[in-house]
Amino acid sequence: MDEFQEILQDFLVESFELVEKLDEDLVELESNPEDLDLLNGIFRVAHTIKGASSFLNFDILTHLTHHMEDVLNKARHGELVITPDIMDVVLESIDLMKALLETIRDTSEDAGIDVSSCVARLDKVSGGDGNVESPVSEASSTTQNVVEEEPVEETPAEEPDYENMDESEIEDEIERLLKMRQAEDKAKRDAKIAAGEKVLSAPPEPEEDEEEPEPAKEEPVKKETLAAPKPVAKPTVDASKEDEEDPKAAAPAKRAPAAVEQTIRVDVKRLDHLMNLIGELVLAKNRLMKINEEVEERYEGEEFLEELNQVVSIVSLVTTDLQIAVMKTRMLPIGKVFNKFPRMIRDLSRELNKKIELVLAGEDTELDKSIVEEIGDPLVHIIRNSCDHGIETPQDRIAKGKEEVGTIGLKAYNEGNQIVIQIDDDGKGLDAAMLKNKSLEKGIISEKEADNMSDKEAFGLIFKPGFSTAAAVTSVSGRGVGMDVVKTNIEKLNGIIDIDSEVGVGTSMKLKIPLTLAIIQALLVGVQEEYYAIPLASVLETVRISKDEIYTVEGRSVMRLRDDVLSLVHIGDIFEVERILDASDHAYVVVLGLGTSKLGLIVDTLVGQEEIVIKSLGDYLKGIDGIAGATIRGDGGVTLIVDVVALMQMARDVKSTAMIDASSEGASAHEKTKASDYTVMIVDDSKTDRMIMRKALEPLGMTLIEAGDGQEALNILKSGEHNFDAMLVDIEMPRMDGYSLASEIKKYNKYKNLPLIAVTSRTGKSDRMRGVESGMVEYITKPYSSDYLASVVQRNVNFKAEFL
Amino acid sequence: MSDKLKNIINKQSAQQESAVTQSDNVVQLVGFVIGDEEYAVPILAIQEIIKPFDWTRVPQVPKYVLGVFNLRGAVIPLIDLRTKFGLKPKKHSEETRFIVMRHGDDVAGFVIDRLTMAIRIKKENIGPAPDTVNGDETIIDGVGKQEDKIITILKVNKLLERDF
Repeated sequence: MDEFQEILQDFLVESFELVEKLDEDLVELESNPEDLDLLNGIFRVAHTIKGASSFLNFDILTHLTHHMEDVLNKARHGELVITPDIMDVVLESIDLMKALLETIRDTSEDAGIDVSSCVARLDKVSGGDGNVESPVSEASSTTQNVVEEEPVEETPAEEPDYENMDESEIEDEIERLLKMRQAEDKAKRDAKIAAGEKVLSAPPEPEEDEEEPEPAKEEPVKKETLAAPKPVAKPTVDASKEDEEDPKAAAPAKRAPAAVEQTIRVDVKRLDHLMNLIGELVLAKNRLMKINEEVEERYEGEEFLEELNQVVSIVSLVTTDLQIAVMKTRMLPIGKVFNKFPRMIRDLSRELNKKIELVLAGEDTELDKSIVEEIGDPLVHIIRNSCDHGIETPQDRIAKGKEEVGTIGLKAYNEGNQIVIQIDDDGKGLDAAMLKNKSLEKGIISEKEADNMSDKEAFGLIFKPGFSTAAAVTSVSGRGVGMDVVKTNIEKLNGIIDIDSEVGVGTSMKLKIPLTLAIIQALLVGVQEEYYAIPLASVLETVRISKDEIYTVEGRSVMRLRDDVLSLVHIGDIFEVERILDASDHAYVVVLGLGTSKLGLIVDTLVGQEEIVIKSLGDYLKGIDGIAGATIRGDGGVTLIVDVVALMQMARDVKSTAMIDASSEGASAHEKTKASDYTVMIVDDSKTDRMIMRKALEPLGMTLIEAGDGQEALNILKSGEHNFDAMLVDIEMPRMDGYSLASEIKKYNKYKNLPLIAVTSRTGKSDRMRGVESGMVEYITKPYSSDYLASVVQRNVNFKAEFL
Repeated sequence: MSDKLKNIINKQSAQQESAVTQSDNVVQLVGFVIGDEEYAVPILAIQEIIKPFDWTRVPQVPKYVLGVFNLRGAVIPLIDLRTKFGLKPKKHSEETRFIVMRHGDDVAGFVIDRLTMAIRIKKENIGPAPDTVNGDETIIDGVGKQEDKIITILKVNKLLERDF
């Protein structure tokens, strides 16, 4: 049974590879139906799969491929011209074949897929199109097929007639068939070599594809007690091979010398293991370098230092090279993904009645295997979208003076540590205003957001879940998967999406994806005593700002970054870092970009850039919001890696909660146990007035701090020495008046809820209004009674009655 | 000479047999103290016992999950059993240890106040968990009776199960 599984595996691996190539070939064939090389190649695939599947007893698959083969066989003998309609049927059958292969992969059986209608159509094509196949030629073609496979195995499965024969009869039959074929082959080859064509009917192709299944097929044959005819058959085949080999080997060698690649198949698990080991090595290297630095400091000037330095740098160099080399072994050309698109475009253009040409470039660009696997789906969606919404109908295009045939360009190239996949179309482009209107209609954005949106941000709307520009749902865009799938998948890969578009000219979409997932460059940042690693691919820039530059809009912190307004969030608020008030006037903002959105992350310090190895937190801690994993630093400590996607999600909600946290934290962290725990600042330029206020409040036992003007008050507040529960503010003061002070204070999130009480002789209504506007909660006019002042303060600081 | 040899061989086989019978009836545990109680886990579930060192806090987890630490290149969660058992956290002392336990692929480190010793206990001396703790949810595997005290035996798989 194990052996069977092994063969099955081989069969599947090979079949999938063949099928992948097939799609591309078929589309090319349609535009170039005379190309016998292509036809032969396609025929061979169908044929190989048929042979192997019949041997493995996948009857449905055999049935299907058999009929496919009939059609293709006719085509390559020139009895049938491949029209788009015929191609549709053939492509459909290939889809079925893929589906069957997948079913086999998942269940080891090929049941559950109905191929009869497709087979019927294939039959119609092969039988109906003006070429009535005589029963004789039908027979000969099947017979020929039978021989083309290892005859022994085909025999029982294919033709029921043979089943009843005994061994010697089979032997005779084989002999007969072989002879027949040899004769046929010879005749054919003479004709074909002249035409420079690959000779098909011989099984021993020099290509890996053809050779592989042979040993696989032979083994079980021995097992199945059919061993007797085998030795007879085998030498004969070999002999025939040998005869055939010479002219043939020469022919393909001349024709396609580049096609022969020296490769071995390696289990992905082994590569993964190798990658893990390299990861360990990189960590050890980081550590070694750190130790080297320390040693350098301690033993400065010692002779052995130089030697150590040399060794360390060699180790580091080799490790880096090794890492790159191993990474490369995991790389696959992106062409593997691109290959399926010509076929898709073809189907789509027929379906949508548009004329679309796909131009591929940079198929050789290599990407990590895991990324190649993930990138396929997003590209499918983007290209579908371009075909459906981007490219106009031929009539429209002609009316607009464009070429009738629309072009979609798909190219990949390297840019620094990233791969860029660019999808261009010359369709109608994205209309920012229209996108905004649609989103407004669907309630995805508010009017205010729409007004403030740049064109680029508006383009980003197409990735919002539930967004669709299509007036009518077509079969292409109505499959229930939106462009937000694209965004999700790309973000999962730490990628960035960049859209450019001009109405009437076209749209260009760039997907920027990091080269690999296991070892990444990261920016290390610090907050209080903790460090976090942010994947560098998501970092657009870092800026140092003064804390005055942080403004509060609608309860969110924002800053101005050149022409944009950037929302800010403190890393400590996201990761629940206990923050002891820091006195520094400056903060660092790490500008994160992901997909189309941006966010500023406030951190205390920037530590630097480091190469990190991503490690999982394990089952116990997996799925923590905002944490993608952990890495081990040079000093042996563990540093958590920020999950930028999740962080951006969290940032949306965190601002409001952070404020509640801050106030409740303030209350809990500074539990009031006695009256003097309450701290109130008195801001007034008149010493007398300050004294009056002090006298009014002193009986309560609160701690009172005085300031002579707004500037001084602000400085005291910022120094963080005291934790104020309320402020009494005079309006008219030198340097900074009460209004300005209030608005300055309210810019800081942490003082958002600090009650500011105006104490002033200004009594006008407009003065009161201004006070409220600038953030004052109470307005006390001079003169006042001390009891009144005391009661207002008590109310605002939630003074506990028991302290009275 | 050969007699001697025979004797030795006999002795050895006898020993082996007794070892076998021993392992059938006797459970080997490692005992440790959290707060005032003594607990134990099967010795085979313990990967290693180490002295405390630095760990990294992880956000958005219950208080008893202190964070993660680096055990020779593997990132492993660290769980404070004091907090998990509802006791007040205590500063780590000379006697504090991390016990790294493993069950299948799950590994975690647990902070305990103090180790006691390796215990051999006969199976018949292990009683079931008290009825007050209900069904499969309990992390108590059983109660081991010794001459002068009883030891609560914990289920390692439950300890390593994420319950948040």
